[in-house]
Amino acid sequence: MSPPESPTTNPIAGIPEDLARVDLDERRAILDVEASLYPVEAVYGAAYVFIDRCYVLLDRPEPTKLRIVLTPKQLDEDAAEGLRRMVGELANELVSAAWRHQITQENRAQIEAVTMQAIAGAMGPPSLDDLEDFDFTDEAFEDPLGIAMSWEEKYSKKDDAAETAEPAATQREEEEE
Amino acid sequence: MRELRFHRDLYRGESVDEAIKTFDRYAKIERAEEGEHWVVRLEAASPARERRVALELSNFALGLTIRSRAGA
Repeated sequence: MSPPESPTTNPIAGIPEDLARVDLDERRAILDVEASLYPVEAVYGAAYVFIDRCYVLLDRPEPTKLRIVLTPKQLDEDAAEGLRRMVGELANELVSAAWRHQITQENRAQIEAVTMQAIAGAMGPPSLDDLEDFDFTDEAFEDPLGIAMSWEEKYSKKDDAAETAEPAATQREEEEE
Repeated sequence: MRELRFHRDLYRGESVDEAIKTFDRYAKIERAEEGEHWVVRLEAASPARERRVALELSNFALGLTIRSRAGA
């Protein structure tokens, strides 16, 4: 049951034996793939597709290799042909899963941004209560020129006692302006 | 006696435990840790039953592992 080689494994026509072989006694197919070409997530994805039709066992015989052992739940009379077909399907599924994984990795930021926008859109516009509760005191950016200040804040007469004590030079400058 | 070896990089220990718990009633099952593997030894009434339980258990453990990783 465990993946170790039994002496009865047979090669599959057209596929190198170190890559894939069948064990007719145990009625299973063994496929070894390079971990650098097929990430674990892709192997999981491909294995999951077969889990309803086959018993699937994964192993790592070497640090750089992943092994997939498929034992079909039902097999026709021609077991060798059935296993060969299954290995072909698994190899195709592996390529597909690895490609999907790569696309997902490359577009992760974009997918996250679109998902966030979709979720934000689905939540609808904020209600008046939400806006009332919103804390606007957080300064989101620096405003050295006072562009974000209201007219009243910028030009209202300063009657504060502290401000009346401003140096005369400053007042003169304001008058000149 | 049949032995299953689940590589610890590929199978979650919790998933293997859960699978053992599920199939416990069909065979006598023991779990051990050996190097990089969770080793599951099982013994059932007949070799055919042993094989079937071993295959189902391995599928179950893999399914749980994949699901938990997908949900993580």
